Amino acid sequence: MNRNPYSAHRNLRAINFFCQAPQAEKVSLIGDFNQWSPDTHPMRRSPDGTWTLTVELRHGHHRYAFWVDGHLAIDPRAQGITRNDQGQRVSLVPVS
Amino acid sequence: MKSPEAGSKAPPSKQRRQVARSVTTSKIHPILVYPFRNPEDYTHLKALYAASEEWLAQPQIYARPMTVIDRKTHYRAASDPAYTEFRRKTVEAHSEILDAWTVDTCQMWYTALGAAYERGSSKDVYWVIPGDFDYGSPTGSEVLGRLPDLPAICAELDQDICVGEVSTDPCHSKQLIDTHGTFALLYNWFPAEARDIRQYTERPRSEFFAIRHDFLGDMLKRRWYAYEQTMVMLLHAVFGKKRITRFSVGDISDLPEGRETLASAMQQVERTERVVKSLWRERHGARTGWTDQYRRLEAQSEQIRRSALIILEKLLV
Repeated sequence: MNRNPYSAHRNLRAINFFCQAPQAEKVSLIGDFNQWSPDTHPMRRSPDGTWTLTVELRHGHHRYAFWVDGHLAIDPRAQGITRNDQGQRVSLVPVS
Repeated sequence: MKSPEAGSKAPPSKQRRQVARSVTTSKIHPILVYPFRNPEDYTHLKALYAASEEWLAQPQIYARPMTVIDRKTHYRAASDPAYTEFRRKTVEAHSEILDAWTVDTCQMWYTALGAAYERGSSKDVYWVIPGDFDYGSPTGSEVLGRLPDLPAICAELDQDICVGEVSTDPCHSKQLIDTHGTFALLYNWFPAEARDIRQYTERPRSEFFAIRHDFLGDMLKRRWYAYEQTMVMLLHAVFGKKRITRFSVGDISDLPEGRETLASAMQQVERTERVVKSLWRERHGARTGWTDQYRRLEAQSEQIRRSALIILEKLLV
């Protein structure tokens, strides 16, 4: 645990996530930051079918994906691609 | 898709500092590969070494950078005062110079990665930074701000290799070589692995990468092919189910001195074919009856290479 109150690890930065899934009924954001739980970060549907969510993330690199109607979907616009602990392909976002 | 609300507006220097701070459990070894053709203008190399000042300022995170210089490059430029001054005041001031007689860039990597590996330890990460890119341009400066993400990803997310992908024009020779040569040949010789690699990157020959100590040790101790090491490492990463990450570092161009001519592009396709053939034989040569399959793949490979050369000739002349 980092005890330095001024550490960059403690910085939170708001990151906007967008998922194009106009036909979907339910979309959520899953990742290392919520233990890949589909219930923690539900996304909101915009009139044009884009699902959006703003999440505050700590400095560092975070693995994430979209959970679209019960299926994992990677972000085609993500800056990186990697795998999660289950070996599934997921996206990567750097937060500086 | 995601969009950092304010993150992308931070100046590159600030981004570099913050990224580096996140890595505390391992040492990062930056390895700078000096251009084989000494540049006439040092603007871009100066920008690269200016960036290295931030790594030097964080010795708890970064080992002292190492610059590998081919002796041929050195002797060709040794009588040029601009080179000797740049070498002494900039390169030597910011890094340890490793002078080496090498036959090509891959041997420069091998020499420098091997030297750094022998000083490293099990959690360390080795980070290759080619010197022949336009780091002094506005886009190059942005890329310089993102490059430290490569070793940081290896360290933070416990990845074995992180390949930096540069976005290029679809008609750039590197892109054409990879589309019509590299991937076509990979799909012929290693179809399952090629599919896996392409899920990560369109640039399997990228010169930007970071690699963890154990995986590097494994690679260094294997037969070291004369060319296309990133592709060989990616293949071995897939064979060994290693943890691979691709990270986009942005839009950057190689310098005109090192840019591919048609002859160079053709040579790269031929080299790629030689490497994948050798690797295939290495993996299947002990199997009974392997020669029948090899002959069939070789015949297809020749067609692929010839087609690639026709396309490259149409597009690069």
